[in-house]
Amino acid sequence: MHLDVAFATLFDLLTTPRLLFLMAIAVPMGVFFGSTPGLGGKLGLVLLIPFVYNMDQLTGAVFLCAMHAVVHTGGSIPSILIGVPGDGPAAATALDGYAMTRKGEAGRALGASFGASTVGGLLGAMFLGLSLPILEPIILNFSPAEFFLLAILGITFIATLSGDSFVKGMIVGLFGLMCAFIGLDPSTGSPRFTFGQIWLWDGLSVIVAVLSMFAVPEMISLGVKGRAYDISAETAAKLQGSSPSAEPVSRKVTYAQIFQGMADVAHHKWLVLRCSLLVAAIGVIPGLGGDAAAWMAYGHTVQSSKHPERFGKGEVAGVIGAETGSCAKEAGSLLPTLFFGVPGSSGMAIMLGAFLMLGIQPGPTMLTEHVNIVWSLIWALVIANILAVIMLIAAGPWIGRLGTMKASFLIPYVLVFALLGCYLYGGIWQNLILVMVMGSLGYLFKRHDWPRAPFIIGVILGKIAEDSLQKAIGLFGASFFWRPISLILIAMILASVGFYLWRSRRSNKAVPSHA
Amino acid sequence: MLKRFVATALGLTLLLAAPAFAADSEMFKGKTITYIVATGPGGGYDTYGRLIARYLQKHLPGSRVLVRNVPGAGHIVGANTIYAAKPDGLTIGMFNTGLIYDQLLKRDGVLFDLTKFSWIGKAADDTRALMISKTSPFKTIDDMIKAKAPIKFAAAGVGSAAYNDTRILADALHLNVQIIPGFTGNEGEMSMLRNEVMAEVGTAESMEQFVKQGHGFFALALSGDAASLPGVPRASQYVKDDRGKRLLALVETLSEIGRLTAGPPGIPANVLAVQREALAAAMKDPQLLAEAKKLDLDIDPAPGDQVALRIKAALNQPPETVAALKSAAGG
Repeated sequence: MHLDVAFATLFDLLTTPRLLFLMAIAVPMGVFFGSTPGLGGKLGLVLLIPFVYNMDQLTGAVFLCAMHAVVHTGGSIPSILIGVPGDGPAAATALDGYAMTRKGEAGRALGASFGASTVGGLLGAMFLGLSLPILEPIILNFSPAEFFLLAILGITFIATLSGDSFVKGMIVGLFGLMCAFIGLDPSTGSPRFTFGQIWLWDGLSVIVAVLSMFAVPEMISLGVKGRAYDISAETAAKLQGSSPSAEPVSRKVTYAQIFQGMADVAHHKWLVLRCSLLVAAIGVIPGLGGDAAAWMAYGHTVQSSKHPERFGKGEVAGVIGAETGSCAKEAGSLLPTLFFGVPGSSGMAIMLGAFLMLGIQPGPTMLTEHVNIVWSLIWALVIANILAVIMLIAAGPWIGRLGTMKASFLIPYVLVFALLGCYLYGGIWQNLILVMVMGSLGYLFKRHDWPRAPFIIGVILGKIAEDSLQKAIGLFGASFFWRPISLILIAMILASVGFYLWRSRRSNKAVPSHA
Repeated sequence: MLKRFVATALGLTLLLAAPAFAADSEMFKGKTITYIVATGPGGGYDTYGRLIARYLQKHLPGSRVLVRNVPGAGHIVGANTIYAAKPDGLTIGMFNTGLIYDQLLKRDGVLFDLTKFSWIGKAADDTRALMISKTSPFKTIDDMIKAKAPIKFAAAGVGSAAYNDTRILADALHLNVQIIPGFTGNEGEMSMLRNEVMAEVGTAESMEQFVKQGHGFFALALSGDAASLPGVPRASQYVKDDRGKRLLALVETLSEIGRLTAGPPGIPANVLAVQREALAAAMKDPQLLAEAKKLDLDIDPAPGDQVALRIKAALNQPPETVAALKSAAGG
């Protein structure tokens, strides 16, 4: 353990005005990129890389890390207020966050999200800092066989996240899996479901999937309704399951609400702890990736709750689980990037390029010769998270106005940025058409009450499952699941499915309490 | 007398040519050149591309050179985009030389003809090598040749340059190789650390770090001269038959022309000359060299006319080689 180095680097960071100043710039930038649907953190990194070119190693890396660390905190804002997530993990936040907004609890949802992402970010970073000495063996014990089983475990959450209709959830989930297989077959290199279009060779991008399942449908339905979320006491009551004479719902975001949301985080402390550890551990294993990690956290939250039926309808624990997950994974995915040069998430893949440009050569020597850089980056994540939450809480009531904006302002803003981001990232104009077509499908799903989250899970995990299954069979043969960790994971999958079946049988027998 | 005449004539020509040339080098003043990199941001091509773009801008006075990432289909989309651009010199870019394989194999999606690009130059040699994991039972290439059971190799996706290089090596040396495809970036090296795969074929530059860390060693150089990987046996010593030699020569050519810069067919000769000049000047710029050193990037330039000749030679393969490549890459 390098405790002396750990605290010396923290001291350095806090006493170097230039670094603090850069972090203070990086944080609002990260929040901006994260909170503008379609832009997202990856694009932010791409745009900022040219600016760090002339910085020294430490400064440049800290700047980018601080920016990247708070992207998800920012991303929760549009997810909660207008139901428009910017990327895969944020879509998990939107499920309950937006439902809370429609119940008039936008402030509480924002508070819960800010609190959870900060605590998640801190716990994730601390956990990884402490596990530095044993990190290498942990990472090396996970092979494609385990990635495959982890992906399958994630796919079983589709059932839990299907809401009221298991069948609908399965249909949407399988459709998502099918879409994940668009592209070049990893084992033969031949195009699959590409209809002669070369731009489909690289598959369906997760960004396109998220924007078409959430951003476009929400904006269409907003356009149909004519104004931003309109909460009558009646709808609120329907959602809350109480009588229509409940008191009218306030649209305002107040500090009191925000602090109530933060108190919810404290109330769910064990959930936050479990999700942080789970996600930091999954994030650290390159091959599964951070996008999957946030969904695993959300799935775990729903599954371990006493009231799974409340999720997707505005359950604060859902926001907490998803947000803890989104933020705890960043530290997790940073470490394999630094030690093996294998990025732990899609954002980290770009970060890796930036590290190389700064002359930081990833590898085991990071732990021996450059441990100060490792700790500085971990601390940068921590400090950026704290700065972000202070700024966001202070700005909370103003941010909340976004949710009450007139549809005529909101729709063009969101759609333009969503489409811009969609185009800018891959530079594929055909994606614009795809978003519109699939967005209409997403709107139909929304209108007819079909769950949309399983689609995202299918798209994210389908690719990982297929790729790692091919590799696992190639490496170990068909008996790859006899490895010790694989057996544990199989037991977890069976437990997850069994638990779901047991609970749905029990709730069928019981008198339905949420009719 | 004659000597003096020639000298005077030469001097006069130079004197007359100088202002003309000066005017030429200013032809990009106020213009924006788009430099396309055929991969996403981050990674080797992006790093080289951005470095070259910045110094091209310096050596084309008054110009702005912007990098645009056009990833997709393993560099094919980026190359198609450059090929289809207007030949005014304002769109140029970089892609993987491995596209020679795709053109020879007539892969779907290839809309370009590499012999027709306007070649501006190349920046590096991509020496290919075979690296074996230190924990594997194979201590030399001879051990591998003698092995009976299939040896597991990590490689990038089917159809990628690294995948084809691996297939060619296996074919030429009659190695019993089982390729596990789909490893990107350093994932193959991680798989070696986990003792899953024994070896991989790639550019020496990308594997150097892993060798330095003591996890693997270079067992065979597929290309490059003796100086590039000192003390490492060379593939040419092991390849006996014609088919193998032809395939290896192809890898050799590919390796010699790495990190190339090209524009669409039909860039006017005077514009192309200016760009070639600027790239050559950038490649000698001490600041660029210092930066490349800091980034651990090799710089081994060659001018555009030479690149054009070598590309033509590489694509001018007898049907037997193409057939050999097809069966090697497909089998």
